[in-house]
Amino acid sequence: MIIKLALRNILRNRRRSAITLTVIVFGAVGLILFGGYKARTFYALRESTIRGRIGHLQIFRDGYSKAQSHKPLEYGIEDPTAIRKEIERDPRVKMTAAQITLMGLVSNGEKSETFLATAVEPPKDRAMNNQRLTAGTDLPDGESDAVLVGAGLAKSMHAKPGDYLTIMTTTTSGSLNAMDVRVAGIFMTGVKEYDERAVKMPIAGAQQLLQTKKIEKLLVFLQNTDETAAAHSAIAARVHGIEIREWSELAPFYHQVVALYNGIFGFLGIVVFAIVVFSVANTILMSVLERTREIGTLMAMGTTRGRLRAMFVGEGIGIGIIGGLLGVSAGWLLATIINHGHVMLPPPPGYTLGYRLEIMLQPPVLITAFLVSFVTATISSIVPAMKASRMKIVDALGHI
Amino acid sequence: MPSNDVITLKSVSKSYPLGRLRVQALHAIDLTIARGELIALAGPSGSGKTTLLNLIGCIDKPDQGRIVIDDADVTAIPLHRLASLRRDTLGFIFQTFNLIPVLTAYENVEYPLLLQNMPRRDRDLRVRRWLAQVGLADQAKQRPDQLSGGQRQRVAIARAMVTEPKLVLADEPTANLDSETAAHILDLLAEINTATNCTFVFSTHDPSLIARAERVVRIRDGRLDDRQPATASRQQAELLTA
Repeated sequence: MIIKLALRNILRNRRRSAITLTVIVFGAVGLILFGGYKARTFYALRESTIRGRIGHLQIFRDGYSKAQSHKPLEYGIEDPTAIRKEIERDPRVKMTAAQITLMGLVSNGEKSETFLATAVEPPKDRAMNNQRLTAGTDLPDGESDAVLVGAGLAKSMHAKPGDYLTIMTTTTSGSLNAMDVRVAGIFMTGVKEYDERAVKMPIAGAQQLLQTKKIEKLLVFLQNTDETAAAHSAIAARVHGIEIREWSELAPFYHQVVALYNGIFGFLGIVVFAIVVFSVANTILMSVLERTREIGTLMAMGTTRGRLRAMFVGEGIGIGIIGGLLGVSAGWLLATIINHGHVMLPPPPGYTLGYRLEIMLQPPVLITAFLVSFVTATISSIVPAMKASRMKIVDALGHI
Repeated sequence: MPSNDVITLKSVSKSYPLGRLRVQALHAIDLTIARGELIALAGPSGSGKTTLLNLIGCIDKPDQGRIVIDDADVTAIPLHRLASLRRDTLGFIFQTFNLIPVLTAYENVEYPLLLQNMPRRDRDLRVRRWLAQVGLADQAKQRPDQLSGGQRQRVAIARAMVTEPKLVLADEPTANLDSETAAHILDLLAEINTATNCTFVFSTHDPSLIARAERVVRIRDGRLDDRQPATASRQQAELLTA
C-alpha cells in the first residue's frame, strides 16, 4: 500500500512531478554526457600516450634512473636482442621497439635551431602511427640519413621533403659530431611547442651520429593496457639486469588531465546534487503542506510515524527511480546522437589540432548517473517526511 | 473483570493558546460512556464538543485529569504511542469525510485493515461486506471525487467500521450533507449501532441528529450542562429536544 500510495501521489500533481522529473533528467543527462566525455578523453589520452609515445613499459639498463651521467647513453643497453627475445615470448606483449632520444642543433646552412630527436625503428614507428604527415613520406627502411621534421621546425628552417639539413650533437665519448640528413617528411603531433623542435630519425642514423651501438631503452607494447602490471611482474621475474617503468610513471600529463577532469566532474556532481535535492525536497514539501489534513487523518486512523515517513520517502524513491531511468535513457540517446554526429571540437590550449567529440557509454557512467538521481531524490525526501511524521494530529486535521 | 464502561473521563481540562491568552476549552469534565451507547455531544459552536471528541479519540492530550479508554489509562501515554489503540479500538468519521483522494472507495476502506496486517483474503471479505453494508458495493472502484457527498460519508463510515472497533467517534457527521442524505446517514449509523453494539459518540448541533441519540451530553462553555444529566436516557433526550 505504501508503494501504491507513493506512486499515486507522484501522479497526483502531474505538472509539479513533471518539472521535478525534468530537473532530475537534466542532471542525469549532464552526468552521462560529461562522464562519458571524460571517460572517452581519459581512454583516448591514455592509449595515444602509450601507443604513440611511451609504450606500456619501458626497459632500461639497471641503474639508469639513479645515474647522474652527463654522457649520452652511458647507461644504454649494449645488446637488446636477448632481452627483446625474452620479453616478446610473453603472449601479452604485442611488440618491442628500441628508442634513443637526443638533442642538438639543426642547420639549413643559413640558420640553426635546437632540436629534440627521437630515434626509432622505422617499421615499428609506422606501426605506432603516432603522428600526422603533412608532407612527404614516413621514414623509409634501410636509409639511415632520412629524417622526419616537425611542422613548426620545418617552417622555421624553410625545409621541405627532399631538402638536406645538418644535425649536430655530442657523441657518447663527449666529442661533437655532425651528419647531413635528408628530409623525408614533415609531421605534426598537434602539440605546438613539440612540433617546433621535433625530429624523428632511424635508430641506425642516431647510433652513427652518437658513435655507439647502444640503445637508450626498449618500449614494450602490450595487447591490453589492463595487463600492464601483470606483464611488468612477469618480465621482472624473467629478465635480470634491467629497470622497468610503467606508463603510469612516465605520463604526468595524463595524470594532470585526469585530476583536472575529475575535479570538474566532482564539482558538476555537487551542482547536480544540490539542484536535485532542492527540487525534489520542494516538491515533497509542497505535497506535505497540501496533504496536511490527509496526514492528520492517516495518523488518526492509527498510521505510525514510521509508516508516514516511509510513505513520503517512498515518493522520493519513486521520483528518483523514474527520474533516474528517464535520465539514463535520455543521456544514452543523446550520447548516441552526438557520437553519430561527428561533432568536432576546437584544439585545446597548446594544441594545433581539433578533435572529435565522443561520449563513451560505459556501464559505470550510466550506473553512477542513475544512482546519483536515485540517492539524491531519496535523501531529499527525508526532511519533508520527518516534517510530516511530527505533525500534531489535531493541528493537521484542523488545517485548512 | 473488564468493566462495561468503554470511556471514563475524570476531571478532564483542556486549554489552548490564542495569541497571548489561553482559552479554557474544557473545565474538569467527568463523563462515563457505556459499551453500545449512541451518544450525542450537543452544544453550540465553540462549546468544546470537538475538543472533548479529540481527547476521547486520543488525538489530543488533556492538561489535567484522567482518560480511560477500554480499561486502559491513556492519559500519560504520548499520542504517537497510541497509534495502535486508535487503529484497533477506535473508528473516526469526519465532517469533511477525509477520504484519501488517490485511493478508490475499496482501498480507502481497506487501508485500516492493512495497518492491522490482516491477511488478504480476510481483508477482501471484510471490505466487501462493509461496502455492501453501506450500500456502495457497486462503487468500490470509484475514487472520492467520483462520489457524491452522501456516498463519501458512507465510505467514511465503512472505513471507520471495517476494523470492528469498540468505539466510533464522529465529528459533525451530517454537517456537510443535505437533510435527506443526512437522514439516511443517521439511519445507517443507528442500524450499525444496533447490529454491532459498537459505541457511537458524535458531536452535533443538528436537532434531528440529537433526537436520534440514545443519550445526549450537552456542553456549554467547556462544561457539561447541569440541566442535562450525563446519564440521561434516550427518552429524556427526546423530551429535552421536543
